[in-house]
Amino acid sequence: MSGQDALQSTELRDFTQMLSEVFTSGDDHRIGEVVELDRALWSTLTELGLDRLTGSEESGGSGAGWREAALLLEATGGAAAAVPVAENDLLAGWLLETVGLDVTPGVRTAAVLDADGRARHVPWARFADSIVVLWESPQGWQVAEVARGDVELVEAVNLAAEPRDHLRVDLSALSGRDVPAGVADEFRYRGALARALASAGAMDRILELVVEHTTARVQFGRPLGKFQAVQALVADLATEASLAHAAADAAVDAVLAGGFGDASTRFAIAAAASCAGHAASIVARNAHQALGAIGFTMEHELHRHANRILSWRSEFGTVSSWDAELLAAAGEAGDVWALITGGPAR
Amino acid sequence: MSARLVPRAGTPDPALTELRAEVRAFLKEQIDAGVFTPGIDTWLTRWNPEFTRALAARGWVGMTIPVEYGGHGRTFMERFVVTEELLAVGAPVAAQWVADRQAAPSLLKYGTEEQKQRFLPGIAAGEICWAIGMSEPDSGSDLASVKTKATRVDGGWRISGTKLWTSGAHHADAFFGLARSAPLDPAHRHDGLSQFIVLLDSPGVTIRPILSMSGDHHFNEVLLDDVFVPDDLVLGQIGAGWEQVTSELGYERSGPERFLSTFGVLESLVHGVVDGSVEPDTRIGATIGRIAGMHRMSTAVSESLERGENAELAASVVKVLGTKTEGDLADLADEIAGYTAADAHLAELVRAGVMQRPGFTLRGGTSEILRGVIARGLGMR
Ligand SMILES: Cc1cc2nc3c(=O)[nH]c(=O)nc-3n(C[C@H](O)[C@H](O)[C@H](O)COP(=O)(O)OP(=O)(O)OC[C@H]3O[C@@H](n4cnc5c(N)ncnc54)[C@H](O)[C@@H]3O)c2cc1C
Repeated sequence: MSGQDALQSTELRDFTQMLSEVFTSGDDHRIGEVVELDRALWSTLTELGLDRLTGSEESGGSGAGWREAALLLEATGGAAAAVPVAENDLLAGWLLETVGLDVTPGVRTAAVLDADGRARHVPWARFADSIVVLWESPQGWQVAEVARGDVELVEAVNLAAEPRDHLRVDLSALSGRDVPAGVADEFRYRGALARALASAGAMDRILELVVEHTTARVQFGRPLGKFQAVQALVADLATEASLAHAAADAAVDAVLAGGFGDASTRFAIAAAASCAGHAASIVARNAHQALGAIGFTMEHELHRHANRILSWRSEFGTVSSWDAELLAAAGEAGDVWALITGGPAR
Repeated sequence: MSARLVPRAGTPDPALTELRAEVRAFLKEQIDAGVFTPGIDTWLTRWNPEFTRALAARGWVGMTIPVEYGGHGRTFMERFVVTEELLAVGAPVAAQWVADRQAAPSLLKYGTEEQKQRFLPGIAAGEICWAIGMSEPDSGSDLASVKTKATRVDGGWRISGTKLWTSGAHHADAFFGLARSAPLDPAHRHDGLSQFIVLLDSPGVTIRPILSMSGDHHFNEVLLDDVFVPDDLVLGQIGAGWEQVTSELGYERSGPERFLSTFGVLESLVHGVVDGSVEPDTRIGATIGRIAGMHRMSTAVSESLERGENAELAASVVKVLGTKTEGDLADLADEIAGYTAADAHLAELVRAGVMQRPGFTLRGGTSEILRGVIARGLGMR
């Protein structure tokens, strides 16, 4: 089934429709304050089974796959939703299932700890009931679930005032379950893909805001959108957002086709993270330019999305680390074109 | 406003992967046998009629032309895959490019039965070359302002005017000449235009070379002095030239030649990084990521064309992004390797890339014009 057919399948259409009802965009965050977990939205998601969309049905999840998760992540991105969907389901839930631990109801995030049991900038940690941690012990990689109360936590935020807390866990008090090193690797790819998808959704919302503004706002007796210079700003924003979408779609297809262990999936995710990361610069810059001073204010919706895409691109690896990875993958493959097309080398 | 300017691409078809491998193996053979050296912008600059005929013999020219007209009745996606492979390797395909890309589909859409039978088999055999007769000295972006004039005479039309920047006219057999067949009505500028199949060996046609800044001869000025075009060589409807030329531009703008013109530079840079002669600059990686994304977008545009949808907006997105990316790649190679690169092949590609790059964002419709198309698609104008 081609992607187009898949999107038109009744189930996915209904799912997309449901998402658009759940995530009414432009939700009103308290101005100037740290973004708090949107408990009401989270309960809705829980009722609908969206909080653990990809969890197995035996473990209380909805048993869906990355195709549906992608739509959900785009929707959360577009709505600047204050809910840890990626962390709870695609990271924490996945880790627990990987090691065969129960996934009891609750809000979770996940983190990779260093040898001292520290992790920096952990999303939503202060609001989580528990944190699923992954660390490398002398015996190899381990996974454990730690209650929020058993973690030392210093609050911090990202550029968009989303909680990104610094943690310390007493490793000696933890009993972990063994996992192969590949799991720690996969953690990074999963996180990066989730952010690329949410960014693509946020870019769509930004484009919407910019088109609305430039068609309504009049200067020199004409709507701004009638000026070619403004059209060019918006067109470039739109093309970069399209590229971010295309690259993220390709990565989702690669995950569905080959799983996260596959080299071509990893290449596709690196490309998605790179495209979304570079697009964020142009999308944020051009959107701000097109909106003028109003977009620079706390009260306007733009900064919520623009600051998110700028923040998200440094989580799970910097943009330039993904660029370096793409180059390394190309060097290893020896044939860049074969790598891009997923075909045989020349 | 639709959030997605470019539709989603479908999942890859294994049959296409197989075709890709076949073309790839053939191209490798050809390179190994010394038939061609991979180059830059070879779909414009490298005419090699023997190579084109060799491709045609394999069924890789005129792929989407129906079998009854000497073609191969294959899908748009199959053609897309072959096209991508030819471009990525930098094969000398200029001799077939315009005929295959836009003349054939326009003939199929607007041509008479007689025209189809006359030209399509030769195009599919790689024996007929085509050029593009749109631009004029005073008509570039504003194509509706063409001054070439077609006057009704007994049994046909007499055409006078000057076409400019006509790539490959000195090798080509024919072009579709866009001309004004009725006086300009300022209120309806797109009316009164027509397309004529001008055989470039007709009496009254003079082709003068124009050297591009690299000193190479790709462009021409084509003077049409009272050139007779019989009625049976009128393309489509008299007066419907605007709609036809716009449709032709659709084919011209949507293909992978809009992001792969300099791809060979990227392969060489990566090899340079591996052998230590080029610094491992992360911008090379970023470019790889962009081209991977472009490949995906361009695939989606082709699928959309295959479904018979209007792909103007999506094609504009790909062309604006792609021509910028392929040009930036030429610049990047110049910045980090330069025309003095130790690897002689890379140095050659850098030189060619820098010399060709200014044209990328002009030909086939400038980025400025295409941004306007995108803005219109977004409902801004
Ligand atoms: C390598 C190459 C090959 C070509 N091959 C062919 C060919 O085979 N056949 C053929 O017919 N033509 C060919 N062309 C011509 C090409 O289609 C034109 O160059 C193009 O349409 C631009 O027209 P122009 O050069 O007259 O520039 P102009 O239209 O004079 O434009 C100059 C600049 O002004 C900008 N501009 C113009 N109008 C506007 C506007 N309304 N809004 C904003 N900006 C504007 C343009 O974007 C451009 O940057 C070729 C060109 C190149 C570079």
